[in-house]
Amino acid sequence: MSELVLETEKLDKVYKLGGRQVRALSDVNLQVKKGDFISIMGPSGSGKTTLLNMLGCLDKPTYGKVILDGVNITKVPEKGLFKIRKYKVGFVFQTFNLMPYLNAFENVELPMDGTKKSGDEKRKRARELLKMVGLSEREEHRPQRLSAGEQQRVAIARALANNPAIVLADEPTGNLDSKTGHEIIRLLGKLNIDQGTTIVLVTHDSLIASRAGRMLFLNDGKLLAKEKQGTHLLKKELTCPNCGREIQPDDTFCPRCGKRL
Amino acid sequence: MKVKDLGVLTRALRNVSRRKIRVLLVVIALGFSMAIMISIPAGIVANQKAVEGLSDDYNEIIAQMEEEMNKTLTLIECSLTGGFRRFTFAGTEQFLNESAIYDISSIQGVKDVVPFLEKTEGTMQTVERRGRTFNILVPDYTIVGVPLNSSLINSYAVLPTVVTEGRNLCEGDSGFVLLSLNNTEYFEAGVGDKANILGRDFTVVGVYESTDPLELRKLYMNISDAQAITNLEGKISRLDVYAENQTCVNDVVKAISEDYPDLYITTYEDRLSQLQQRANMYQTSLANSESTLSQMQTTVIQEVGIAIVATSLIVLFTMLYTVRERTKEIGVLKAIGFSNWNVMSQFMLEGILMSLMAGAVGIVIGIVGAPFLTSILLPHINPFGTLGLSQRAAFPGTPGTSLSQSVSATPDPQTMLLAFGAAALLGAVGSLYPAWRASRTSPMEALRYE
Repeated sequence: MSELVLETEKLDKVYKLGGRQVRALSDVNLQVKKGDFISIMGPSGSGKTTLLNMLGCLDKPTYGKVILDGVNITKVPEKGLFKIRKYKVGFVFQTFNLMPYLNAFENVELPMDGTKKSGDEKRKRARELLKMVGLSEREEHRPQRLSAGEQQRVAIARALANNPAIVLADEPTGNLDSKTGHEIIRLLGKLNIDQGTTIVLVTHDSLIASRAGRMLFLNDGKLLAKEKQGTHLLKKELTCPNCGREIQPDDTFCPRCGKRL
Repeated sequence: MKVKDLGVLTRALRNVSRRKIRVLLVVIALGFSMAIMISIPAGIVANQKAVEGLSDDYNEIIAQMEEEMNKTLTLIECSLTGGFRRFTFAGTEQFLNESAIYDISSIQGVKDVVPFLEKTEGTMQTVERRGRTFNILVPDYTIVGVPLNSSLINSYAVLPTVVTEGRNLCEGDSGFVLLSLNNTEYFEAGVGDKANILGRDFTVVGVYESTDPLELRKLYMNISDAQAITNLEGKISRLDVYAENQTCVNDVVKAISEDYPDLYITTYEDRLSQLQQRANMYQTSLANSESTLSQMQTTVIQEVGIAIVATSLIVLFTMLYTVRERTKEIGVLKAIGFSNWNVMSQFMLEGILMSLMAGAVGIVIGIVGAPFLTSILLPHINPFGTLGLSQRAAFPGTPGTSLSQSVSATPDPQTMLLAFGAAALLGAVGSLYPAWRASRTSPMEALRYE
């Protein structure tokens, strides 16, 4: 059995809104294994982003615990959380959130600031990641000179800078057109297969969610018992489920029979 | 430009240069504050030096005068016009017969009598004051005829002492003249040249210098030459009477007064009293200057204090606005693993960089505009305060008359270096709270911020 990268136990989050208690998450038990590509799907207001914030140490649960890469992060004091965010988590946001005053290369290099890596190591890693996301030629470009899809690719490269235990993607295709959205999902899938990157993605788009390995459903702050297998697992086998021909991880359609993968 | 190592300084610099217009306006505003901080102390230092110089000048003048006076303990000055006259009213010069020399010489207790003939030549001008018309002689030069008798010119202050070119007049010189530097320009004649004075050519034997502007108007010649060219044969305008000793001065004065009641007589005691008056005026003007200087120091503390507070507030509000504007960016930085200290140091560094730029601008404004800034921000030193013009006019050549205008203030390198340090410190102080607030921002809240 693969080792667990992320585990939540009876995770509850209660907010106070105008003197009223709002339960954003209720008894969420989640297990993510190393190399998983999980999508969490749910309608708007179902608690997806709240859950992702708990998993990524951006917020603390009211009850329950989150164990990330063997560390119970709910017990880590506030001032120690930055190290977990730096080394164990990689964030991909819906609005990309790149630094407008830095170019693509520098944006990828940014999370490595303050790490023990030498300048050369940082630059080598940034170059390698930009090559991985297919933006080697655009490293000198600032975000405003990149397309939305390219910006999200840079954001993915930035999330991987410190080789995190898990990548948390919050609606990564929400600001992209359908075609670009699928390209980004394919890129995440490719990273999952090639690099073994563990990915948790939240979305309200069922088609996007279905491209993950496992699909989980969140409704009214509760993780539903039903779980579906996504198409990504099929791609992992690298053969077309229709004709059996070998396919590449980033193929959208089978080159032989033309079936959508 | 490709950055080789992306450090906090590079990021801070990029952020500062991101919003050029805003930074420019803030830097100019801060620059003016810094300029005030630089130029005001420079102004006060310059004024302090000026007042110290004034005190030295006063002391020097009094000491010189005391020294001169001590040489003339037995001198009794006699003339038909008393006091100082800057302008000579037409027809007001009065002369007495030179027979007075022999009369006074015969008084018991008189050792020597030195006659002078002084005649001012110039251009007549008509002026109107309060409905009355005056004819005023605007002087070009004053002819001073002196007895060129070696026993007199060697014993008493008859001729100028500082001859810079040629030689002084000596016994038997007739048809010769001793000019001041001002006279050489007026007559366009130097040593050895001929100067035409009232229609007669005189050979210039020498040129003298003096610190007294009124003295520089005079040209010296043999008294008989002076009487001849001014058509005042047998006339003199004043007498320096030397008593045999100090104890008989009063008796001599009494005897002269009886014979010549119209003469103004001045003795050592009168001159001493006049010197005391001058010393008192100097003391008053020095006290006025020092009082203004002290007031200036209070003003400086207030103005520099205001500039410091203004600088800190400008940095504070600019950085607060920047932090608010970049809330989401702070959230992202924290989400990707920046510690509170990383975030705080970046924002503080941005504030410091902005202040340092302002410091540089302030130094430039300070160097260029220090005289202007000090003239509008510092009170002017007026050494004469409530002393009237007439009192000042009674003591010609009084130093410090130019002090009432602004002194030239130039910031020194130490002040500039200090200001640069102060800029960094104020930048740090002003951005401390905004940077701290930025560092305390919850990443989750910040990421939601639009």
